Amino acid sequence: MAVSVDYVVRETASNLWRNRLMTIAAVLTVAVSLSLVGAALLLRQGSANATGTLERGTQVTVWMVPNANSQEIAAVGTQLAQLNYVVQPCAYWNKARNFAEARRLLPSDVFQATTESEMPTSYWCTPVALTDAAQVVRTFSGTSGVLSVTEPQQTIHNEETVINVSKWVCLAIAIVLIISAAVLILNTIRMAIFARRREVSVMKLVGATNWFIRVPFMSEGLLQGFIGSLLAAVVVYFVYLFINHEGSGRTTSNIFTAMHMTGSEVLLTNVVVVIVGMAIGSIGSAIAIRRFLDV
Amino acid sequence: MIRFENVTKTYKGSTVALRDITVEIEKGEFVFLVGASGSGKTTFIRLLLREELPDSGQILEAGRNIVELPKWRVPYLRRNIGCVFQDFRLLPNKSVFENVAFALEVIGRPRHVVANQVPQVLDLVGLAGKRDNLPNELSGGEQQRVAVARAFVNRPLILLADEPTGNLDPQTSQGIMQLLDRINRTGTTVVVATHDEVLVDKMRRRVIELSNGAMVRDQARGVYGFDGSGQQTIEVAAGGMG
Repeated sequence: MAVSVDYVVRETASNLWRNRLMTIAAVLTVAVSLSLVGAALLLRQGSANATGTLERGTQVTVWMVPNANSQEIAAVGTQLAQLNYVVQPCAYWNKARNFAEARRLLPSDVFQATTESEMPTSYWCTPVALTDAAQVVRTFSGTSGVLSVTEPQQTIHNEETVINVSKWVCLAIAIVLIISAAVLILNTIRMAIFARRREVSVMKLVGATNWFIRVPFMSEGLLQGFIGSLLAAVVVYFVYLFINHEGSGRTTSNIFTAMHMTGSEVLLTNVVVVIVGMAIGSIGSAIAIRRFLDV
Repeated sequence: MIRFENVTKTYKGSTVALRDITVEIEKGEFVFLVGASGSGKTTFIRLLLREELPDSGQILEAGRNIVELPKWRVPYLRRNIGCVFQDFRLLPNKSVFENVAFALEVIGRPRHVVANQVPQVLDLVGLAGKRDNLPNELSGGEQQRVAVARAFVNRPLILLADEPTGNLDPQTSQGIMQLLDRINRTGTTVVVATHDEVLVDKMRRRVIELSNGAMVRDQARGVYGFDGSGQQTIEVAAGGMG
């Protein structure tokens, strides 16, 4: 059958050029849809990383009222030391330590109003399992001398919900766009087949094999999917740079810090993006060839 | 070279295109296929190209039964059959040379073969001087010569022509017939379906006449209209008119 590479390259290039408006539309749709797929995949990876990071740092903090007396503080400490669902021992932070930490974390203008004596003392405990945090909260809420029990999990949950929702929204939009990208490629190939129907009929007449006739159209669809996915890969890479840039070099940590991801995770995402792009191109052109190229 | 055995072809809506045709065409023969419009000439050609399959009967070409040929082998069959049509079917954006070369390129012939064969065949059809012209810069006769060159460039065993002179004036038509005759003399079997009485009468070749899908005449050195004036009829297929 011997379909020469030279021939396929020439035919594909001239098809793409002849059909350039449709080609641009198809390529851009592939690029946009796959950027969303890639972003959703990155967010998924990022939220997994974030959950991991935050879970490792999860601590339940029992804040004593600033004017709690030493018996109250000691009573809470003793009670904490008896709990089997808390990693022993819990750390006790006195006023000085909390004051220093607060000064480090809070912006100076907010912090100026506070003095060391107004700071509470606190116990920092790590629950054995994440779900045990709530148990600690229930046990100590309302105990005399206890100001509040904070469980950072609530914040994690909120952030995770935001990430999850945006991930699914991204994926839903992406799926719609992937379908329209495939349909656009299908239409481009259909137009290419229509534009070349004379050539195709002569080729059939003189005995060109079916594959020889099909391959230029298939490679055209594949190439559109591939170029679109490369553009998407670049976008995904910039999303990755953005997340890591936003997440570092700040005095306070934020959600992006927790999402920090490695280059290999981005590479993997981009490999998936390119494979999906080429699949879109092949499926679109395969359907067009089946439906409209009668060989 | 070509043998039809009891071939019947019916189109949807019960139009009988060919009715129980049995005929044999030897290697190197020149045969006219005559008959009114709708008599089955084009179906005959399409069956030979395997663009259609018969309802019943066998068709042998170059010793091979093409009815049983698997679909993927059809392109290889067509490499042995050249075909020209009334409407030339040239590619308007390719030059004369490129149109002829295209037929070799798409069956994967190497470039040196193309560079060698195309000028030869253009020389044969008398268009060596117009190799870089586009089809719309040529006369109808010249365009049909390009089509003949394209059909013949791969040296097929059989050359089919479906109304090759239908769009041409009588003088130009005669030139095309002479060209087909010259190709026939290289040993190629030539089958020409035509309406053109003058040409058929002048050439005095074998004539097969179809009427309403039935073969009503098979005459060596025949003329277009059957005059029954002592021409020897070699074989009339059983079945006759329906």
